[in-house]
Amino acid sequence: MSDEMTLYLQVWRQKDSKSKGGFQNYKVENVSGDMSFLEMLDMLNENLAREGKDPIQYDHDCREGICGACSCMINGEAHGPGKKTTTCEMHMRHFNDGDAIIIEPWRAKAFPVLKDLAVDRSAYDKIIMAGGFIEVKYGNAPEANSMMVGKEVADFAMDNAACIGCGACAAACPNASAMLFTAAKTTQLSLLPQGKVESKKRVQSMIKKMDELGFGNCTNERLCEAACPKGISIISIARMNREYMGTLLKSDY
Amino acid sequence: MSWVSSYFASSVGKKSVMALTGLSLVGFLVVHLVGNINMLIGSDAFNHYSHFLLSFEGIYVLEAVLAALFLLHAFFGLMIAFQNSQARPDSYSVQTKSGRGTTFASSTMPYTGTIILIFLILHLFDLKFGEHYSVPNEEGVRDIYKLVLVYFSKPLHVAWYIIAMISLAIHTSHGFWSAFQTLGFSHPKYDGFLRKSSIAYAVLVGAGFSFFAIWAYLQHGGNV
Amino acid sequence: MSGEIKKLDSKQPDGPIETAWDRHRFSLKLVNPANRRKRKVLVVGTGLAGGGSAAGLAELGYQVEAFTILDSPRRSHSIAAQGGVNAAKNYPNDNDSIWRLFYDTLKGGDFRGNEKSTYRLAQCANSIIDQAVAQGVPFTREYAGTLANRSFGGVQVSRTFYARGQTGQQLLLGVYQSLMKEVGKGKVKLHTRKELLELIIVNGRARGIITRDLVTGELEKHYGDAVIIATGGFCKTYYLSTNAMASNGAAQTRCWKKGAYMANPCMTQIHPTSLPVMGAYMAKQTLMSEALRNDGRIWVPKKKEDKRDPNTIPDDERDYFLERRYPSFGNLAPRDITSRAIKQAVDGGNGVGPTGVAVYLDFKDAIERDGYDKIKDKYGNLFDMYKHIVNESPYETPMRIYPTAHFTMGGLWVDYNLQSNIKGLFVGGESSYEYHGANRLGANSLMSAMTDGAFVLPVTVAGYLGETFATLEKVDDTHEEFDIGMKVVQGRIERLMNIKGTRTPDQFHRALGKVMFDNVGIERTEKKLIEAIESIKNIKKEFYADLMLAGDEKMNNELEKALRVEDTIDLGLLMARDALERRESCGAHYRMDFVDEDGEAQRDDENFQHVAAWEYQGDDTEPLRHIEELVFNSIQPSKRSYK
Repeated sequence: MSDEMTLYLQVWRQKDSKSKGGFQNYKVENVSGDMSFLEMLDMLNENLAREGKDPIQYDHDCREGICGACSCMINGEAHGPGKKTTTCEMHMRHFNDGDAIIIEPWRAKAFPVLKDLAVDRSAYDKIIMAGGFIEVKYGNAPEANSMMVGKEVADFAMDNAACIGCGACAAACPNASAMLFTAAKTTQLSLLPQGKVESKKRVQSMIKKMDELGFGNCTNERLCEAACPKGISIISIARMNREYMGTLLKSDY
Repeated sequence: MSWVSSYFASSVGKKSVMALTGLSLVGFLVVHLVGNINMLIGSDAFNHYSHFLLSFEGIYVLEAVLAALFLLHAFFGLMIAFQNSQARPDSYSVQTKSGRGTTFASSTMPYTGTIILIFLILHLFDLKFGEHYSVPNEEGVRDIYKLVLVYFSKPLHVAWYIIAMISLAIHTSHGFWSAFQTLGFSHPKYDGFLRKSSIAYAVLVGAGFSFFAIWAYLQHGGNV
Repeated sequence: MSGEIKKLDSKQPDGPIETAWDRHRFSLKLVNPANRRKRKVLVVGTGLAGGGSAAGLAELGYQVEAFTILDSPRRSHSIAAQGGVNAAKNYPNDNDSIWRLFYDTLKGGDFRGNEKSTYRLAQCANSIIDQAVAQGVPFTREYAGTLANRSFGGVQVSRTFYARGQTGQQLLLGVYQSLMKEVGKGKVKLHTRKELLELIIVNGRARGIITRDLVTGELEKHYGDAVIIATGGFCKTYYLSTNAMASNGAAQTRCWKKGAYMANPCMTQIHPTSLPVMGAYMAKQTLMSEALRNDGRIWVPKKKEDKRDPNTIPDDERDYFLERRYPSFGNLAPRDITSRAIKQAVDGGNGVGPTGVAVYLDFKDAIERDGYDKIKDKYGNLFDMYKHIVNESPYETPMRIYPTAHFTMGGLWVDYNLQSNIKGLFVGGESSYEYHGANRLGANSLMSAMTDGAFVLPVTVAGYLGETFATLEKVDDTHEEFDIGMKVVQGRIERLMNIKGTRTPDQFHRALGKVMFDNVGIERTEKKLIEAIESIKNIKKEFYADLMLAGDEKMNNELEKALRVEDTIDLGLLMARDALERRESCGAHYRMDFVDEDGEAQRDDENFQHVAAWEYQGDDTEPLRHIEELVFNSIQPSKRSYK
């Protein structure tokens, strides 16, 4: 086929979290533009495996941009050059024959590398654990339509709820800050009447946990929203800031 | 009180200090710039204006507040910059500027801030604590007008001043909007307006102050 | 080892169906709240069923350990469900009811599901919506603030609740957040990146599992008083599917090999509207929502191998085959029927696209009728997604689609309590066979996984723990069964590592997938199934002779794949066997040798109104096919006709 490309990859290889890593060069041939980035890596891995070499480790699962498992800094951009795209949905037609591609793992103190391109993102789970929920038990729910939520509010909550927890925001942020991730959750939950009740406690404990985990401070550089595959806006960060400041100044009673 | 200290120890708390002090300084710059207009009216107007400020009883309190604002802003700014460098111990080997997100201004805040810090120390040293000229026939009135003109008669001083003002403009072009964002004033309805205002403010302050330095230079060192 | 064919009893309660679940719940024993912390449940899988039951049991006070092979419970495959979740709330006042939802589900499954379990499902569905809203799931709403509904999957009422096109994601995140809440309280111990490799049975009861840490490679023993398997479906037996890479069925196969019965494994839903195969290295086929069939028209050129630009083919040279064959349902015919019709069109040589293995889904008429803006409003996201992947705009060129494996109705056999034939082993969600019979209706999968996780398993598992509280022997990981299990797993890994052949796990997996899709896919015949069994046996033989495994025993994707493919091959073989033995056509199981005079599926209620539950008999022995008779007291099975 005429659209097949040869690419020159520079991939970060690191044996485990304790080892020092480094780049290795690979040449990949017969890459079709219809392939996804991960399928291109699959192909490389199969070639490596056939040669008895250690295949490149990377996280992936659903391959349709919803599970948030895939990651990778591709030529210095989280999830690669496509807008609102995850690595698994980034197609090779974004590249040209002969291109050099540098592939690195997410880098942040809070996201230690496990192996090669796979990193530990459990810090995000810990932020949720600190308060990213509504404290309701199974079986203890009122009739669904007893709570009215205006469409615009519900839609904005949904915009924020669309977060897939991939880590691109913190990975792309020059300060490795997790504000967009945290703000998306506090915004979703505190906008809805069922989550408003505990919003003060939630925002306090989530921000506290986020800081403890070693994420940086937000300096409003907006790289997070540019990298977010779901297009979540930093307006949510402003909203969370407002809510957090409210905890200092306001009382619920 | 733990809830206050924990607030200011948090990332959002620190940023809100940055935003509040920053916005106050933004306000101060406007006052300063407006005050400078007296220079264009003439030496008397300018000297009387500055005498009025210096002889005001509460001036030390105001100066202390201003210094505190500035020091807090600088201190928290440097602390944030340091902590942020810790948040990513291994940096990326490539970072692409794709035109999405970050701007030159936003990514250089600690650097432009440092230039402004150095500038401010020199500025106070050269002008506020500089040569003491007296206005003839008016006892106790400093001739600040002359001081300014003498100071800016040197092209090097003008150049340094303009560099500092460009840094200030760059700094505030992000800082102005950023303060509102940090304080939670952001909404699709007016976010665009705030961003444009931020640029407009930066241009006004940067060009405005630079204008006075150039103007002073063109007055031939106060020897007229 | 050989045994007798048994008639299984799934312990469906007697008496009126409407009160069956209530009466059954009352019959279950309770555990004193103070004693609950003395009982520990292991939950494998953290999707809607697993995560939900883990959180639910922890809330009740039991100790829970939850396991996922992914790096976070938030990535479980429940997340990928797009369309919605059904519930008979009857908000639109369109004459929906629990009874109608129950009937539609049973009929949709071609009367191969359990009547009372299915009724319970329809009953619990309403509570799912209440629960999800309380958890903060941002369902799409009307301007007045009430919940919105839509019609989905060819049913005639609007009972589907949805959160844009990400309903599964939102329901899962609700469950995930509940789970993390319990993890934070220390009630659930969460194990991520850990894969079940062996089930531990002590004196006939499930008492533990052996897992492999996917980062360090270490094998670990975990013990408990009950085990829940909620590891999802196994469409990866087809290699290409709409499922995530982890939907491999290995956990079920492990349990099967330890004596749990596998029920109706041949029942696999092939979804009609996925993107066609685009290359040898394609890893998955993205699903295009079924909602597209509301406005899109499916057609192929009448002329064979017609390579013209579709827009230049005049209407009278197009064959809108669904509208032609099923005039009353047209393009909205159920999934299995649509898939079959598409395959027949392609097999007849009328397929389109570069490979000839696709049909057109055309929006030209809809755009002419409703205008560009309205279509963009309805399907903009999906059209963008298609353009993103295929690089063609559906506004200008018809979409190309082809069926692919999507959901497994079959799974581990369970009774009304969702308990397997092994005591203490519970199965929920897509991993079990329970509700969907021979075919699943759209938006029913979230409903069933959520129901199992939130409302059934916490009740029935607690019932089991109550019933056995005084008598259950104390077992921990020092029991010899755990050591035996560890040795078995270590032996498996060493065996695979030492083959040192020439082919990678993916190569075997692709070979298996091809056999499965061609022979155990949309259309099945006795001949093709016998062929499939032979081919899979060969693949298995070659696998053990020629597997090549790169990397070491630590974090190693290839080793993970090899262990899973080994199980997937056995599962594929079982699916083919089950399909061969079910000598009728029902739902998604379409046997070309069992059709009526019009070529439509011919169900055989006399001989096959039952669930086939397969018992493992050893690697080289044919498994046994037990039977659970299906009894319908509340409704009369009717012929499923969509003409």
